[in-house]
Amino acid sequence: MIPTKESIEPDDRQLVRTIRDGQTDAFEQLVRRKTSKVYALCYRIIGNAEDAKDISQLVFIKLWENLEKYDPQYAFDTWLYRMVTNVAIDFMRNKQSRENAVNSNLRLVKTSADAEQGVNVQRKEVESVFNEVATVLSPKQKTIFVMNQMEDLPSAEIARILGCRESTVRNHLFNARKLMQAQLQKRFPEYARLWSDR
Amino acid sequence: MMSCQNFRAGFQPGTDDAAILEHVRACDACLDWAAGVDPDVLFRSLGGGELIPPGGVDAFVSDVMREVHLRSTESTLVRHHRWPTSWTQRLAVAATLAAAITGAALVYQRDRQTPAVTPGPAVVRRAAASPLRLTTKPVVESYDSEKATIVEVPTEGNGDTQIVMIFDEKLPADL
Repeated sequence: MIPTKESIEPDDRQLVRTIRDGQTDAFEQLVRRKTSKVYALCYRIIGNAEDAKDISQLVFIKLWENLEKYDPQYAFDTWLYRMVTNVAIDFMRNKQSRENAVNSNLRLVKTSADAEQGVNVQRKEVESVFNEVATVLSPKQKTIFVMNQMEDLPSAEIARILGCRESTVRNHLFNARKLMQAQLQKRFPEYARLWSDR
Repeated sequence: MMSCQNFRAGFQPGTDDAAILEHVRACDACLDWAAGVDPDVLFRSLGGGELIPPGGVDAFVSDVMREVHLRSTESTLVRHHRWPTSWTQRLAVAATLAAAITGAALVYQRDRQTPAVTPGPAVVRRAAASPLRLTTKPVVESYDSEKATIVEVPTEGNGDTQIVMIFDEKLPADL
């Protein structure tokens, strides 16, 4: 039987072992393997491509510096996601305190005529609407919402990543939805109608 | 990816079905339709898949590795200039310090030690060199006698007045 690419490639734990043995090349392989995943999560939490890129790079550098602390009995991705969320939440907290005043005056402009005609969903626009209404969420709420709704992680896994109880995650999700719907009602009534028409 | 027809037939509000989510994240027409059934799908449609950072994965990885090599080099240099970590190195440093302290203490002690009695013919080279001279009696700068007994009282520090006692029958009574 000819071995496939998957069967030749070491899994995450094996790669970490190799890196700990002093092979820097293995770390490059690990970075390459996780880049898209880490960047996607950062981008969805932060909502800005350049910042997300910087934060992702910082995550990998922290990963390199703390690799000795990784306990192989836990899933590598859980540990990696914990690092991503910690760095991203810190960044969001700092950014939020700087930009709060500016963001509160921004909104996407839609005429009432557009609202009357109903919503023709455009993906890029949905992304902008999300970034706008998500400004009312705390960094932790937004992180949990993104992980659950966009990364499709179950609340139990999110609780493991954040080191909290599952009920806390569910509370954050509930509050995040409520806050975002109120914000939609206020700033994007044409979208809020979708919920009220149900 | 499933067809639009299958998607619309199988779509349920609040679904976690991976195939359904994959479709709604890729098909604008079905997203528009699904948002009318379950508005929560709006933001769910933004997820899924993996994203490529600006500049591409290769540039991203090489940036990270450059920084990692830089930091590794820095930490290696810092390790070379750090305090000794092995117990033998620490012991050697401690022994050197102990020897230095003991040597300094011995030198200090020797400097402080002055003879209580100077035997034989004595010469007083310095008498009452204190800057605060309270007496009006004549000052004896030097004294030389074969029969005299001269006693220097040891001082506590450099600033103390040097006390010298001279016992000699030939000395004038009022001195």
